[in-house]
Amino acid sequence: MAISSATKAATDALSVNRAPVSVGAQEVHKWMQSFTWDFDKNRTKYSTKYKMANDTKEQFKLIAKEYARMESVKDERQFGSLQDVLTRVDAANRVHPKWNESMKVISNFLEVGEYNAIAATGMLWDSASAPEQKNGYLGQVMDEIRHTNQCGYINYYFAKQGQDAAGHNDARRTRAIGPLWKGMKRVFSDGFISGDAVECSINLQLVGEACFTNPLIVAVTEWASANGDEMTPTVFLSIETDELRHMANGYQTIVSIANDEAASKYLNTDLNNAFWTQQKYFTPVLGMMFEYGSHFKVEPWVKTWNRWVYEDWGGIWIGRLGKYGVESPASLRDAKKDAYWAHHDLFLLAYALWPTGFFRVTLPTAEEAEWYEANYPGWYDMYGKVYEEWRSRGCEDPNSGFLPLQWFAENNHPIYIDRVSQVPFCPSYCKGASTLRVLEFNGKKHSFSDPWGERMWLSEPERYECQNIFEQYEGRELSEVIAEGHGVRSDGFTLISQPHTNKDGKLWTLDDIKKIGCVFADPLKAL
Amino acid sequence: MANIHDNPTRDEWMKKIAGLNSVANGHAFLTAFRAKHLSPFKTDFSLELDGQWIECKIEEKVALLKHAEFSDTQFLNNCTCGQDAQKVANAAVAKMDACTNMYEAERIHVDFRLACKPPIMPVNVFMDTDRLLGTKLMELRNTDYYALPLEELRKVRGVKVITLQ
Repeated sequence: MAISSATKAATDALSVNRAPVSVGAQEVHKWMQSFTWDFDKNRTKYSTKYKMANDTKEQFKLIAKEYARMESVKDERQFGSLQDVLTRVDAANRVHPKWNESMKVISNFLEVGEYNAIAATGMLWDSASAPEQKNGYLGQVMDEIRHTNQCGYINYYFAKQGQDAAGHNDARRTRAIGPLWKGMKRVFSDGFISGDAVECSINLQLVGEACFTNPLIVAVTEWASANGDEMTPTVFLSIETDELRHMANGYQTIVSIANDEAASKYLNTDLNNAFWTQQKYFTPVLGMMFEYGSHFKVEPWVKTWNRWVYEDWGGIWIGRLGKYGVESPASLRDAKKDAYWAHHDLFLLAYALWPTGFFRVTLPTAEEAEWYEANYPGWYDMYGKVYEEWRSRGCEDPNSGFLPLQWFAENNHPIYIDRVSQVPFCPSYCKGASTLRVLEFNGKKHSFSDPWGERMWLSEPERYECQNIFEQYEGRELSEVIAEGHGVRSDGFTLISQPHTNKDGKLWTLDDIKKIGCVFADPLKAL
Repeated sequence: MANIHDNPTRDEWMKKIAGLNSVANGHAFLTAFRAKHLSPFKTDFSLELDGQWIECKIEEKVALLKHAEFSDTQFLNNCTCGQDAQKVANAAVAKMDACTNMYEAERIHVDFRLACKPPIMPVNVFMDTDRLLGTKLMELRNTDYYALPLEELRKVRGVKVITLQ
């Protein structure tokens, strides 16, 4: 039978160069390197001020098909454990109630970070010109999509199987009133996706992931386990196995710009600003979530911070990048000072502002107070005494008519919000390094708590126009604001947040808050 | 009950916006509103809470007026003042290219956004111009970032120090 000319041509070609019956991953990767897509006009919204080299390598050398196979196995193990074993043993109800509340914050907030990281690594894909480097970023885009789902799933699981669904579900509806939300958006959103793509990479990969992933995603599994939470390690360790790829991507981002003239002009400034931006929020918030959101303690936060942020990242990781001209951030020294007391200062304010949150907070028990004093000498005189006073005035009881916020007003300790980081601070009652700086520009006052943030604002004022809750709700009564900001449970009047986790304790309602007559005031107006 | 989402200030502005009936008066209304109530250089602080919401509503109205009045060619090529959008953009880019001072560059960029943010300028022209201006501004801002001590930087920025602890 006659064959067509096309079939003959194909047969002839195969006789010269047989198609392989199997292909190794390395062969495929080698083949992929020869891709010559046209990247000349490829760019992200703001073309980066750095020029990324077009021969940059990528360490993982993982093709998309292998990636998908590997991740699907990880997903099967993770979801299998959660849906089968852990549900059967009622694991979500074995979690210590205090830790249950911490996971409302940690997983909901990390979900925002992962979501923005999808866009951040997409921007890097657009910016890079080396096929291998693009491949590394592609892997990360897919990771971040997976992680966003995983973080959402943790809260879904706790809400469905656990002990207090409010706050695990639909936490975002409180985003306008919760004082932790805006700072979180600053680090996890603005820092990751606004402006120069390489600067975003420094925020996300070089600082967020290489520096704070260990204290966040690894440490959280230890604290979770210690407090009876089997779900979080199951999910977060699965996330962590991908984070190595992200750290490697951050490293390669720096390698790709190392020979560019722009690196000597901008790189260390971008790194210092990124480090300060990220640490200003993560240092106090993570320490607070671990130590005050748990009953069983793993180790003092300051030790975790010193080991992973100061020594491992600031010393070893940045040290390895020294040959490319990268220096340890100048602000690292100031951050180290903050790592000792900043989270204690923040919890004092977080407890005082509890009605505006989406999670329940608990005062330290006597046993916990001993742990704090042993690990942070001087803790009792500064904080322990205040918590005792608040407890004796009935701060947990809705019939007491007492909100800790009143204590700050009675004692003339105004609470300010840092314009750049959006983190609340009380300069007249703190042990951390916060100092009050108030500047007026074009008729408007701005408060800052440190010189690094002040410089960022002086350099780019239009970047930090976000209003804080005191400006936004000045003159408004607290219960009205909570109702308007959706801070109530499904019955329409019980607050999502509560000042205790005692299952027999009374729950505060909008009426309880209204009776107190607490009205928002902007402290900057008094200056 | 008046609240942050639904209040008399917004109602009052919605009435004013409803009165806009041509691209010409929509353009004048929107650019004047932005210059007065938005950006770090605004001159009126009375709409701190509602300004961006109101701006959004004016933009919606101007976009609809533009849709009704403009031909397809005008829609892609002209600003709402009638000028050729690319010429306006080129002028802003040329000004930025010639600029070596970060404060002047910042003003060029802010003024461009106040004057041209869509629907004033077609999105296809605006976005690319905004990128070019922003890229140059970022370079100028990051050069010699720590050259001035904070005291000097405050003076150059023109801020008044209220408290320094």
